[in-house]
Amino acid sequence: MKVLIAEDTTDLNRVVTVMLQKFGYEVDSVYDGEAALEQLELSGYDAVILDIMMPKMDGITALKNMRSRGINVPVLMLTAKSEVDDRVAGLDAGADDYLPKPFAMKELLARVNAMTRRKTKYSGSLVTYADFSLNTDTLELAAENSVRLSMKECELLHLLALHGGKELTTDYILEHVWRGDDSADESTVYLYVKYLKRKLAGIGAAAQLTGERSGAYMLRSK
Amino acid sequence: MSTLNQPVVKDIPLSIYGTSGPLLEETMQMVLEEITKIRNEMAGELGMDPVEHLLGRIKSEESMREKCRRKGLPETPESALEKIHDAIGLRVVCAFLDDIYTIRDRLLALPRIRLVEEKDYIRHVKPNGYRSFHMIIIVDEKIYAEIQLRTISMDTWAALEHHLKYKKEIGGNTALISAELKRCADELASTDSSMQTLRDMIRELH
Repeated sequence: MKVLIAEDTTDLNRVVTVMLQKFGYEVDSVYDGEAALEQLELSGYDAVILDIMMPKMDGITALKNMRSRGINVPVLMLTAKSEVDDRVAGLDAGADDYLPKPFAMKELLARVNAMTRRKTKYSGSLVTYADFSLNTDTLELAAENSVRLSMKECELLHLLALHGGKELTTDYILEHVWRGDDSADESTVYLYVKYLKRKLAGIGAAAQLTGERSGAYMLRSK
Repeated sequence: MSTLNQPVVKDIPLSIYGTSGPLLEETMQMVLEEITKIRNEMAGELGMDPVEHLLGRIKSEESMREKCRRKGLPETPESALEKIHDAIGLRVVCAFLDDIYTIRDRLLALPRIRLVEEKDYIRHVKPNGYRSFHMIIIVDEKIYAEIQLRTISMDTWAALEHHLKYKKEIGGNTALISAELKRCADELASTDSSMQTLRDMIRELH
């Protein structure tokens, strides 16, 4: 795991760097916002710690700038005192978390751990059920042969596989896979279940999807 | 000197197919007609033509001789007609997945046609992503023909893959291109499957 820290207070920068290194992180440290942006262009990071008040370019400007360039690394902002406005501005600019100064080192470590853990969990994982595997990163569904699913098909199959052998109601599926999408209804779920039924059969998977329209659906091994 | 009076037969180019050329042509037409009948029947049932295009060819003299040499067979009519089974080649390109299997079943139900061998590369996909349904049939227990059935997507993919084979020597990142071609094949297969599901759903409503 690689972390970039941008903090102009030399002592604090040093202490945080050493502490993170001690806990197994690879750390690059810079002292202003401009240098942080340059470093982000040069290398990839799993997390960035940004101070708000820095010379040359402040943390908020640097953050807005990196987000506008599509750099989506998780960012922890260090805010002076407990300025509510600073915290709000940081989160609005695209920060994932903030920590008001002064802070305890173990809290900073816990927050960095939490941010990088989140990232690992979101990036591709292999879900297996019966004899098929589903890669939620590449959307590849494979058994005897393989196909590439659409995002929604992947989310639906992932949910059904996590609850393999248990019935899931249409409402439960809508709530988890189509949350916030008002155009989705029971016909959407029914259609996507049908897509998956056929694709599971097509790849020769020893698993089947059962259930009737508007009822509950279940994935199980054959 | 007496040899001068004998007719010179040595230099007349003999067909690799011997005298069976017209029979091959006739057999190919017969199978094409049978497929067309099946196609029309299905069009009536489905309310749409299941076949996008239908092609037939007799393997050229030159490529049949080349294939004999490649297989270490003598360049004779026996090799071309009995050892090699694709002197007649047919390709049926369908819009939908299920129609491939319907056409297969109906062809094999015909009295003059018998299945010799089939390879379902749709189910048993080749490692590079190639998908197609191949079958060797024999007509009247005499003439062999190879039939390839596939969807438009599979046909499109095969065309690009074929094109790329010739470019391979040029270099570049062939591993990346092969992996991406495989991904495209799997995405197209996924779309074929979804389109079939949609057609089933529409038919269910009627």
